[in-house]
Amino acid sequence: MSLLQVDDIHTYYGESHILEGVSLSVAAGEVIALIGRNGVGKTTTLRSVLQLTAPRSGSITYRGEELVGKRTHEVAELGVGWIPEERRVFSQLSVAENVRVATPKGGDVDAALELAYETFPALSERRDADAGALSGGQQQMLAIARGLVGDNDVLLIDEPSEGLAPQIVADVAEAVQRAAEEATILLVEQNLPLAMDLADRFYLLDNGQVVEDGAATRGVTDDDRIRRYLSA
Amino acid sequence: MTGTVPVVELAGAGVVGPFPLVSYLDALAQFLRPSTLAGVFVRGLSKAALYVMIASGLTLVFGLMGVLNFAHGSLTMVGAYLGGLVMVLSVTAATGTALRFGLFFVAVLVTFGGLVALESAVEVSLIRPLYDRPPIYQILLTFGVTLVLDELVRIVTQFYGLQPISEWQEALSTKPELLTETFRLGSTTVSALSLFEILFGVVTVAAVWTFLTRTRYGLVIRAGSEDSEMTEALGIDVRRVFATVFALGTGIAGVAGALLMWDPVWGASVPLAADTLLPAFVVVIVGGLGTFRGTVVAALLVGMVDAVTTWWFVNAVEFSGLPEIFIFLILVVTLVVRPQGLFGVAEVGGH
Repeated sequence: MSLLQVDDIHTYYGESHILEGVSLSVAAGEVIALIGRNGVGKTTTLRSVLQLTAPRSGSITYRGEELVGKRTHEVAELGVGWIPEERRVFSQLSVAENVRVATPKGGDVDAALELAYETFPALSERRDADAGALSGGQQQMLAIARGLVGDNDVLLIDEPSEGLAPQIVADVAEAVQRAAEEATILLVEQNLPLAMDLADRFYLLDNGQVVEDGAATRGVTDDDRIRRYLSA
Repeated sequence: MTGTVPVVELAGAGVVGPFPLVSYLDALAQFLRPSTLAGVFVRGLSKAALYVMIASGLTLVFGLMGVLNFAHGSLTMVGAYLGGLVMVLSVTAATGTALRFGLFFVAVLVTFGGLVALESAVEVSLIRPLYDRPPIYQILLTFGVTLVLDELVRIVTQFYGLQPISEWQEALSTKPELLTETFRLGSTTVSALSLFEILFGVVTVAAVWTFLTRTRYGLVIRAGSEDSEMTEALGIDVRRVFATVFALGTGIAGVAGALLMWDPVWGASVPLAADTLLPAFVVVIVGGLGTFRGTVVAALLVGMVDAVTTWWFVNAVEFSGLPEIFIFLILVVTLVVRPQGLFGVAEVGGH
């Protein structure tokens, strides 16, 4: 049985029809890559799951519970975490405060800080610095740490390697792998080899629809049909 | 808004006429005297104290939900009348200084509670249904609330003959004798009322600062002010936090109104709504929408510029309207040079 099930969702921005019947399923413990060109609806799919951009029709269930119609904080409280595009750390809060605010109410803040610093020692050294003063790679680590301490069973990770230097991308890939030990992951990633290395399965989106899905292997990147979708 | 500043006779020539350079130099020499600078500094601090009390709620409300509350000035004005009402009903000619101060603190509590209740009702019944609409809906709605509140107060004050345009003299007269006096502070004299206003401002800033930096709720507010969408995605009900901030921010603005009720420069009157809203908007925009630290710094900046220009345009150039122009000049320069304000961040979370 899937942990997260998306069935035939249609999502709009104003009158623009972005998702035209996307369906996918994510089983517990899996890492699923959502791939496709820019603007095909990958980020919108994640935003739809979180109800940040609610679908006008279709169904999204998490552990069998319908998410459509809930508010975003209610979805998050169920255990669905978000590591968004461009990190979106709270730049005027310190590293420690970013972790504290992500710790669920009544949760053990000390344990959360310990988990964050153990997973990313680089954050420990800069715990009192404003998050806005961190490098791009450190901000990405902080964004992932925020997802980890939130008691999330599913993490929706959007473009974690975007805008980072190759060496930093390797660190972030390692961080995503560590996150995968704790949670199920739905990963949006433009870097196809990286996505295939990290994921168990993939869904390929084009024009707001799933056009291909299957096991994630390096061979997928050589498939002519998939390359056509990604390079068009 | 510009305040009454003691007019200084310059070199026996009275107030300077247009363009006499020598007299301007005399005025500059007069301005640079330590006693003048100290006096202007204290007046600047007292203005800053009032601005920060009025503007802090406005900035946090915008930061959290992107709601630009045009009714904020009217709620400050309601606070002035509510505080005045408590004082007028409870103070008699025989009431002593200590009791008047005691009653003022009762008035502050009543004003705070009354404004929190009023704003909660407005938020739940009118603003909440419009959260998901474009900002123009909230602007029009809160502007409408301003018109309704102003007219309601105008009707009530006219009905009871309280002169809604000029200051409410009866409320002004409840001020303790002590606050009408001036004190020698080093080389300058300052009014006790200015010190009282500064004290309130400092206590307010310290309390809000402690709340924002030492409590989990404050941490959530700071996070939500920077990126409400991300905060919501961390499992926090930002709307509930917003309702609390809306109510508390309005309560503080109401307390500022109660203070203004005793200040002869302002006083309780219907135009107080617009007179307080405009500088509050300047402070909020200059400081950076949604940042309390920016609001405090901007309030100091605007208060000082207001005090300095008021001195110059009362003592050196006879044109009392110019200080307001300088305040708006700060706004224009900020918008051109640093549109996000002194401590603001680039657009996040949809606003």
